[in-house]
Amino acid sequence: MNVQRQVARFTGIVVMLAVLVAGVTEARAADPPVTLAAPESFAAIADPAARSAAIFTELGRVLTNPRCVNCHPVGDRPLQGEVANRRLHQPPVARGADGFGTVSMRCASCHQGANFDAGAMPGHAHWHLAPLEMAWQDKSVAQICAQIKDPARNGGRTLAQIHEHIATDTLVGWAWAPGFGRAPAPGTQAQAGALVDAWIKTGAACP
Amino acid sequence: MELSRREFVKLVTGSGIVLTFSPLAIGAVPGFADRETLPGRAQWNPAVGGRGRIDGVAKVTGAKLYASDFRATDMPGWPATTAHAILVRANDATHIFTGLDLARLRGTMAPTVVVTAADLVRAGTRVPDFFKGDLFCPAGRTPLYLGQPVALLLFETFAAFNAARLAIRSGKFVQFGQATPAVAQTPYGSNRFVRVAGPAATGPDVYSPLQAGWVGPLRFVKGNTPVWAPGSPSGPASAQASYYGDQIRAELATANPDVLMLDRTFETQSIDPMFLEPESGLAWYDATTKKLDLVVGVQSPAEAADSVAHLLGKARAAFKPTHINTHFAYVGGGFGGRDHTSFPLYMALAAIFLPGRPVRLAHDRYQQFQGGIKRHAFKMHTRIGVDKGTGKIRAFAADHVLDGGGLANFSPSVADVGALGAIGIYAIPTVDVTTVAAHSRGVTAGSMRGYGTLQTMTALEVLIDEAALALRLDPIEFRRRNALPTDGRTLAGNTYVGVVRTPEILDKLDRHALWQQRAAAKTQAAAGFVVGTGVACVTKDFGSGADCSLATIELAPDGRIAINSDAVEMGTAIGTALANRAAAIMGGMADEVQMARVDVFGPLELMTSGDPYSGNQAAQDAAARNPRWVPQISSPSSSSVGAHVSTHGAAEAAKLLFRFGLWPAALDLWGVQAGDPLAGQWASARWNDGTLAVPGKAPLPLSALAARAHQRKLVTGVMVHGFSRWAWAAATFTVAGQSFTTDIDALAVRFGDGNFTRIDRRNVKFPPTVYNRFGTSYSTICGTLVRVAIERATGALRIVKAYSVVECGNTLVPEVVRGQMQGGFAMGMGQALLEYLPPFEDGPGNGTWNLGQYVVARASDLPIGDLECEILPPVTPADPPKGMAEVVSIPVIAALVNAIADATGHRFAALPVTPAMLQGVLK
Amino acid sequence: MTTLRITINGQAHGPVEVTDDLSMNDYLREFLGMTGTKFGCGAGQCLACAVIIDAPDGTSITSPTCIVPAVAFNGKSIRTIEGHAKNGELSPLQKAFIDHFSFQCGYCTAGFLNEGQVLLERLAKTPVARADLPQTILESLNGHLCRCTGYVKYHEAVRDVILADPKRYLV
Repeated sequence: MNVQRQVARFTGIVVMLAVLVAGVTEARAADPPVTLAAPESFAAIADPAARSAAIFTELGRVLTNPRCVNCHPVGDRPLQGEVANRRLHQPPVARGADGFGTVSMRCASCHQGANFDAGAMPGHAHWHLAPLEMAWQDKSVAQICAQIKDPARNGGRTLAQIHEHIATDTLVGWAWAPGFGRAPAPGTQAQAGALVDAWIKTGAACP
Repeated sequence: MELSRREFVKLVTGSGIVLTFSPLAIGAVPGFADRETLPGRAQWNPAVGGRGRIDGVAKVTGAKLYASDFRATDMPGWPATTAHAILVRANDATHIFTGLDLARLRGTMAPTVVVTAADLVRAGTRVPDFFKGDLFCPAGRTPLYLGQPVALLLFETFAAFNAARLAIRSGKFVQFGQATPAVAQTPYGSNRFVRVAGPAATGPDVYSPLQAGWVGPLRFVKGNTPVWAPGSPSGPASAQASYYGDQIRAELATANPDVLMLDRTFETQSIDPMFLEPESGLAWYDATTKKLDLVVGVQSPAEAADSVAHLLGKARAAFKPTHINTHFAYVGGGFGGRDHTSFPLYMALAAIFLPGRPVRLAHDRYQQFQGGIKRHAFKMHTRIGVDKGTGKIRAFAADHVLDGGGLANFSPSVADVGALGAIGIYAIPTVDVTTVAAHSRGVTAGSMRGYGTLQTMTALEVLIDEAALALRLDPIEFRRRNALPTDGRTLAGNTYVGVVRTPEILDKLDRHALWQQRAAAKTQAAAGFVVGTGVACVTKDFGSGADCSLATIELAPDGRIAINSDAVEMGTAIGTALANRAAAIMGGMADEVQMARVDVFGPLELMTSGDPYSGNQAAQDAAARNPRWVPQISSPSSSSVGAHVSTHGAAEAAKLLFRFGLWPAALDLWGVQAGDPLAGQWASARWNDGTLAVPGKAPLPLSALAARAHQRKLVTGVMVHGFSRWAWAAATFTVAGQSFTTDIDALAVRFGDGNFTRIDRRNVKFPPTVYNRFGTSYSTICGTLVRVAIERATGALRIVKAYSVVECGNTLVPEVVRGQMQGGFAMGMGQALLEYLPPFEDGPGNGTWNLGQYVVARASDLPIGDLECEILPPVTPADPPKGMAEVVSIPVIAALVNAIADATGHRFAALPVTPAMLQGVLK
Repeated sequence: MTTLRITINGQAHGPVEVTDDLSMNDYLREFLGMTGTKFGCGAGQCLACAVIIDAPDGTSITSPTCIVPAVAFNGKSIRTIEGHAKNGELSPLQKAFIDHFSFQCGYCTAGFLNEGQVLLERLAKTPVARADLPQTILESLNGHLCRCTGYVKYHEAVRDVILADPKRYLV
């Protein structure tokens, strides 16, 4: 028996997270909203690069939020849950060739065109995983910043297109209206867009 | 009240409520045939020809089988519409419960009735002893445990129910006030099991629980710490237990260069049975006829009906039925978690408080996690002393504390069974095990596959492996040296029934390539991986010490065979097993097998009194003089009783039907005269391809025998009751002028097309009540080998290959045994590596748990194509079948922990072992 | 309220008004009495509730019903466990499940049957190599939870139906 080959075949499937034992309860929709600082509040930072980096750090609160990271995983399988009890997606699903799932388990089989609150089920017409090169899981805000500016790792986007993606994409926007049982990303999509805009205008420096 | 002859009636002492039982007729559901969605119905029984499962077609065609499938419209004679109930539970047990935020449920989603603790007082209900504790937490009190019910909400329409369940699921529907300490209670149970063997291996013990009786503590201090009697070699049993136990502990505490002494702790976690069908049921109380109908899916039908009768037995007139009829459905998984659950009590309350309306109560998965029975978490402290020269274990002492959660349920019993199983397959001359089943504010723990021994034998088998390593002995050789021989004594002090086949199992494990090649596999591990191989071998009792078997077998003139049994089908294919066991005797597969038929045994006219587990001998002897008395009438389908106990009645009935029906019919067809020696040689007959074969006589098909048996008015139907307390009750009966003694305690027979008539027994011998001191006398042995590969960087573990071997006597349905082994492997794997429930506020009692957090094994977690299962053939063809559904999951756990130790060099002492923990030790 | 028209096992249902918060699982089980489709977790994690959706392009896929609103099935054609047998004759996969003792309690069977059937139909159009078969079956069935069996006999049953007709399912 070729153990090595078999191991290689299975590692993607059997990995389990330590969060199993974390045992923290789900976030409640009733939790108070978490706000984002406005770009103006960074005006006191004189150095444009430092200001830009600080703005990105604030934006980083959105980018590292579970509503974003859960579908920007490092592997082929998305994550679920909140920060404290983040875990691999159940049932086990994989990104598949197009990021929309495998042939037998398509994202859209469960994730319909919109949230189904009665089933605590999130949904959007284009529900899918971010490409592997855009993985944010376990990365620092500084690393994500470098990544997001790198066309090789941001889907070939210009900074303007990054702004457009974050400020207007409706799948990104889902993060602020995630439906029953999920805490939304901080602030609003418009506020996040404003932060991106201000970050670009201050030179798109990274923390 | 006029009852039909086919209804099995039991008058509940004191309450005056008549209990009747009905199985659900899956062929008779109105409204469905029109849609033709259930094509399998008309021919739902594929057992004809001995092929397939009795319930096979029904299960692959979506027929209504499970309690959760039935609505009022499916029940003949019921009102057409179904009302719905929500059982609201506390998600906090450290604050005072103040009430419900009913303002959320205004307008169309308002419940018709809200039932709380105050309403139960008003109605005059009682709580059965087994479920002692408030059925609802009263306002103004701290809930007894997380998940304790606080109210039932009853809705007349599905729309109102659906809207309401969404409205109350978030936030603070259940309201709490001031913080308080958790409710404290003394432990549910505690015992000390001490055995000191005598000098001769097969001679009498110096001291044993069997000789002296079981021993409990004087009291508890600091909450859960038992205080044992002061030791004395000549005092009462409790003093002697302390005396000998303390000696054993003193020996283990004394440094001795000739003895390897290990002092270890081990912890196992709470898990959920996670049967796939959440508990559910249907109840209808007709206030005009005062009849309460229940549709339930439980492992313990008779108990469920008894408990509901007790609940309502002294209720005020408006709330008290005069007749309770219980319909039993198939269950979607059990694993012990549906044995003695309180769920039917709440179903009954829902119906009683919304009279005239069939009410459905169904857990969703969150509620099932919050309210369903759990496996006990164990904390174990063990000391073992092994003679370095001989490699033989000299002494063993252990202290177990298990978390029983909020209600006692089976906790005292799980503690005892776990303690008695703590020395596994081994012969150890001096043993002292104490156990405490503690109360906590966690979700109630109770019966679950393995029943305490899973926890204690896992700790043991991990410890044994460590001891072998320390002694530089091969782990299997170390086990072989210490294996209990057939005539050896258990911790209780009794011997097992039958051959103890541990050496054969160990030999199988030893010779397997997985074991033989373990060193090579380790050195050939791929870069970045460590590889290890582990072994474990355990024995598990089957039976509960008071098990019943009710069966009828009826033969039609055309040779068709019908079997009825009181056992419940929960996925064990018990119906198929019954048919197979009877077929070997009757020469034909049953054409009809009906399960959970507690209702057809009226002709036996059974009655019972007392407690089969605790009654004394004099009381049993006195009661047994009444030929209708039995220690218990019907018992749960649990404790791996299926193969051995549940099929016993059918086997006994088949033997009698053969002897008094088919055999004399054969003699008649052959023209054999009464005085011919052949007449008495029914036992020598053999079935050969469906025909009865006797040398020198024409082979006779079953149909011809059946026709002649009816024509001559021979015995064509047999109804029996059997009772086992670690041995079968036996009695003498006379049928057709012939007396015989056999392992049943009640009998009725039918001649030709007549009715069943009871035959009075004589010389009944019930197993003595002292047998209640046994831990068990029935044992099944199973061993497992596993090889794991663990990735250093991530701690990800993969089971490369595994092998399990079991001995279980005559195998009734080999495919089912293999299926149990595969399923047991998956559940053991989950316990070892995946499943975990925090005990309190973060745990299932908070109502937020589902299968995202609670991870059970999927196919990708298991060695689907590399799991080899072997079943040893029986020692003799006459070996009875043995229960095996529990034992097969147990060695998997320790084998995995031992394999991890082999791979990583670290022996984990708490479960589950997660990738993060593995990553930690591999850094 | 939304008007729902749906085809179930070849039969048209509706139009019927349903509320937007009604799950497809409740529509099947509470309104149509079709309880062959089970309720297991209510969170899309066990797939005991999965049914087959037949797309107009001739492809099929399973979908859970517990976390999908009934209205999302408007205009769709689905198959449930009640629809596999034709005129009382079991499908090859149904027979294989019985012959292999694939299930024990049977509560997960509807989901496995639907998923396995979709796999068979897919392989009939796009066969796989024999060597890839175990992995193909694993990836297809892995979303479905079974607590009784350890999955082995489900996988064996699907495999044996395929191997009984290799020209149809394998390259």
